[in-house]
Amino acid sequence: MTAEWAAQVGAVLGAEVHDDFGVARVDVAVAGWLGALRTARDELGCTFFDWLTAVDEVRDGYRLVCHVAIPPSKGARMRTLILRTLVSREEPAVPSVSGVFAGASWHEREVAEMFGVHFTDGAGVGGRLLLSADFEGHPLRKDFVLASRVAEPWPGAKEPGESDASLARQQAARGDAAASARRAPRRRSRPAGVPEPGEWGPRESGSPDPDPLAVASDRKPRRGGAL
Amino acid sequence: MGEAQVRVDEVPLGGTRWRVHDLALACCALEYAAASVRLKTARAGDSDAELARGLDLLAPGPEGADVLVVSGTVTDALAPSVLAIWERMRRSRHVISFGSCANSGGPYWDSYCVTKGVDQLLPVDVYVPGCPPRPEALLDGLAQLRRQLAGVES
Repeated sequence: MTAEWAAQVGAVLGAEVHDDFGVARVDVAVAGWLGALRTARDELGCTFFDWLTAVDEVRDGYRLVCHVAIPPSKGARMRTLILRTLVSREEPAVPSVSGVFAGASWHEREVAEMFGVHFTDGAGVGGRLLLSADFEGHPLRKDFVLASRVAEPWPGAKEPGESDASLARQQAARGDAAASARRAPRRRSRPAGVPEPGEWGPRESGSPDPDPLAVASDRKPRRGGAL
Repeated sequence: MGEAQVRVDEVPLGGTRWRVHDLALACCALEYAAASVRLKTARAGDSDAELARGLDLLAPGPEGADVLVVSGTVTDALAPSVLAIWERMRRSRHVISFGSCANSGGPYWDSYCVTKGVDQLLPVDVYVPGCPPRPEALLDGLAQLRRQLAGVES
């Protein structure tokens, strides 16, 4: 990011410009999202739409991130710009920018399916883009719990002979519980979104409902880690 | 495979040449391609020569194919298409599940969108483990299927 480009972006968009590892980045309010992208295209000359995606920022809402650029020309290198905005968690709705960049429609459909962000005034393309038709929920939200292991034990193992099934077989063959205990596998790390045993699924009646956000977002203290 | 293991060059062929179609869904398909090259270039006297005579790994499509090799990750969104391919095959058909993803979902077992094995959709005859399996493992899986059908091995 050259100082010249940063100054130009700041002047045209009327916002503070941050340097994100060499890329100019501007945060705008959700009300100014559509206008900022149109200004970036028409006044800055960022005619190239690269991508648009989202991040679940948990308490802060959903952050939309869009990467646009001025294509390289003779004597000028490509200049790039990242625009971001925060959409509220309670009412995740934002105007579609597919009227500014037609190619954004695909990306917005993906964000709509994965994060449940509603893009108003979109192109109105029906049907699912990626998920199967009967899929429920928004899988890239951090409160989306990957609950397969609640119903069925994970069949895998990191090393050959480490799976629960093969350990049980060894134990039965030897009849030696102590030896099996010594061979107990190291603590297994779990993929993001996969709950610890007992955290999710059937529980005693009257016990409080677990908070999906806490279960799936890995916001619990782990080994030596703070929140 | 038990003690009655039959070597690849002793596989009973019964005079038929199998046409094998690859349902190439992910990176395991590269190992399938490597196996097909290996059979294509096998010469008389090679350990694969007998298998190469009995197998055509480059069937142009599912129509008329005897064996479907599912190589790669099956997702729930893709499941109807996998079934459609299967429906287009001839009635005497067999399925080989090639690689961890097709076998069980593999590293994506926890995923929200990956089918936990193609055997949730189709009847699988032989599972080939590996992530990915080597090309030789595919040939061994095909040889095992032939042995199973010949009654040499269950």
